[in-house]
Amino acid sequence: MTTLAIYSNKGGVGKTAAAVNLSYLAAQTGAKTLICDLDPQSSATYYFRVKPKLKSGASGFIKGGKQFYRSIKGTDYANLDLLPADFSLRNLEVSFDNLKRSKKRLRKILKPFKAEYDFIFLDCPVTISILAENILNAVDYALVPLIPTTLSVRTYGQLLSFCHKNNYDAGKIYTFFSMVDRRKNMHREIIATVSKSYTGVLQSFIPYLALIEKMGIYRAPVAEFSPESVASRSYQNLWDKVQKNVLSQSKRH
Amino acid sequence: MQHNLKFKLPDGHNEKQFFGKLAERYALIRKPAVTERFAICDTFDWRLFNKSLVLYASGNRLFLRKLAEDEILYSAEIPSFPVFMRDFPDSELRHQLAPIIKMRALLRLVDVQSRSVPYRILNPDGKTVARLAFEEFRPWRRKNKSALVTHLWLKPVKGYPKYSRMLARLFQEAGLKISKKEDVFFKSLEVVDKKPGDYSAKLNIKLDPHMCADQATKIILCFLLQVMRINEANIEKDLDTEFLHDFRVAIRRTRSALGQIKSVFPIKTTDRFKKDFALVGELSNELRDLDVYLLNEDKYKAMLPPILRNDIDPLFDHLRKKRSKALQKVIRGLKAKKYATLLKDWEAFLNKPQSDSVTASNAKLPVIDLARNRIYKKYRNVVKVGSQILENTEDEMLHVLRIHCKKLRYLMEFFSSLFPRKKINVLIVQLKKLQDNLGDFNDLCVQEEYLLKIIKELPATHRQLKTTLVAIGSLVGTLGRERQMVKDAFAKTFTDFSSPGNKELFQELFVSKAKEDVA
Repeated sequence: MTTLAIYSNKGGVGKTAAAVNLSYLAAQTGAKTLICDLDPQSSATYYFRVKPKLKSGASGFIKGGKQFYRSIKGTDYANLDLLPADFSLRNLEVSFDNLKRSKKRLRKILKPFKAEYDFIFLDCPVTISILAENILNAVDYALVPLIPTTLSVRTYGQLLSFCHKNNYDAGKIYTFFSMVDRRKNMHREIIATVSKSYTGVLQSFIPYLALIEKMGIYRAPVAEFSPESVASRSYQNLWDKVQKNVLSQSKRH
Repeated sequence: MQHNLKFKLPDGHNEKQFFGKLAERYALIRKPAVTERFAICDTFDWRLFNKSLVLYASGNRLFLRKLAEDEILYSAEIPSFPVFMRDFPDSELRHQLAPIIKMRALLRLVDVQSRSVPYRILNPDGKTVARLAFEEFRPWRRKNKSALVTHLWLKPVKGYPKYSRMLARLFQEAGLKISKKEDVFFKSLEVVDKKPGDYSAKLNIKLDPHMCADQATKIILCFLLQVMRINEANIEKDLDTEFLHDFRVAIRRTRSALGQIKSVFPIKTTDRFKKDFALVGELSNELRDLDVYLLNEDKYKAMLPPILRNDIDPLFDHLRKKRSKALQKVIRGLKAKKYATLLKDWEAFLNKPQSDSVTASNAKLPVIDLARNRIYKKYRNVVKVGSQILENTEDEMLHVLRIHCKKLRYLMEFFSSLFPRKKINVLIVQLKKLQDNLGDFNDLCVQEEYLLKIIKELPATHRQLKTTLVAIGSLVGTLGRERQMVKDAFAKTFTDFSSPGNKELFQELFVSKAKEDVA
């Protein structure tokens, strides 16, 4: 069983679109897959046409076990289940803070589900506080979407130094390029620089495309409503890279 | 988690009509139908059915499930349809089937077509909240034939239990019944007039204890004749070795019944048929011997040191050539007028009312008395000969004892319906252990002798001949050592059989009360 977070400490970088499409592609290979929508905005939940509602809200989530299990919904796709978001998750940070061993709580919540699923994907909200630490403690890998802009690269640097300062293994952090516009010189240059200066950069580029935004209209992964599109192919390419360079490699150090 | 539910649709239920009605209450989408062809398989003697298993081939895979259940236990990819276990790819499926099917050929019994139409029930958000599937089975390539079975599947979606509960209630209110024990297996076989379990090599004869002995004996013999007829028709097709084997056992049992159920028919009749059936048995001795060697090919090879394993191949090639000649001989024999006349006369005799005869003094005895008498005498016989062997183990005597045991076994099986099933089965199991020991000893003697004889037949010009001879020599050595081990085990096996406990049980079942009083 592998746990992957789609995480970023910057908003609007394409986390949810990546989480939805990657979990769908994983499930298509026959692997039992769960996607957990941890974002109170509940966009992933919306894409799967599920109501954003957890049994007993965020407190049920934190308790884990039965309450967590009973909240899981089957999606419209084979092998893919969803833990929906809930508006009360906006208080997750505070709730974790009030607990003992507060930084490892999420890891404890997910543990019983590792036997049932081959993959657990976490669609994470923007955070770099105690929730981020919970995520980093809970997952095997974190995939960070990176828009090739200076601000994005700067935030990525902040994340890595945060890991360094707090003794988190930066070797489990991988990044890929998101919302890429290859016509822009700056995008091309930043991609080249980032690929040279950091390790764990997947050579995968999700373009900036209207079709990806249309997921909100179709409420489905792109491969479902437009399987032959560039968008669908680029997510497939990202999943191939994740399988080849992340899942089948030993950890970087 | 809720389970999938299978409903039986009453005859004449129409898919369009049914889902049309459902669409008035729920948002539905229909997906394209999936059609699949599959073939139900089993051996001629229903080995899988007897274990409540259903094996079917679909596409390039084989699937195994329990009868009346839908869950697939094992499946495996097959490059082509496997006839014998050795044709199966190495898989868990093969490991499961091998001890059941053994040397029998797998037959494709019937081809069926399944058509499944998936439906989805949507909530107002367009989310799938329950899945349905309309499923029907028809005989393959007979579209106009009405469906054999029609099912409606209700497959709950995790997290939406209310919808599946509502639908289940709705279907039950509409008169649909949850289908549990039913299996498309039976209806499919009906189409091709096959009755599962209708053939078994085991004796299955029901006798009434007060029946006249001659009448009971004819019932036994009629059963055996039927077994002969069924198998004889298939020997020529050469599907597997067991048609001939079952045919030969039926003949041997017939001869044994004629000899052992004494004085129920005129002696002239008994003698004639005994002699003629002996000739029919002899006709296929060579073919059966060759079958046994070839069936054991892997076992023999495993006995050889690895370096010699391929060197024995010329021997088996030679045996295979001999076998095809031997098969032709048997086929000719079974087509000959002599055999046809024998069976015609035999059938006429079995169907003719019994005429009185001085040499048939036991004919009107109640069968139970004769059965007790014959079984107990034979048992005493076995104990007597066996005890002599314990004092002085001669190979020849072991052979004599083996024949006695066989006769006793047949008698017990012919008449088993007359005695308490559990008790007689205990004794049959005990006897079988002794027979296995004697049978192994005999087989090893015969095999050693045969191998030494066959050496002379091997083509002298063969390049590999010398190494083949070394391999055969090594094999004969191993067989000899094994024979000695089997012989050493005889004393204990026989002492177990002749134990006081078994003796008491033999007396309880087979010594009639009246006789006991006299004694």
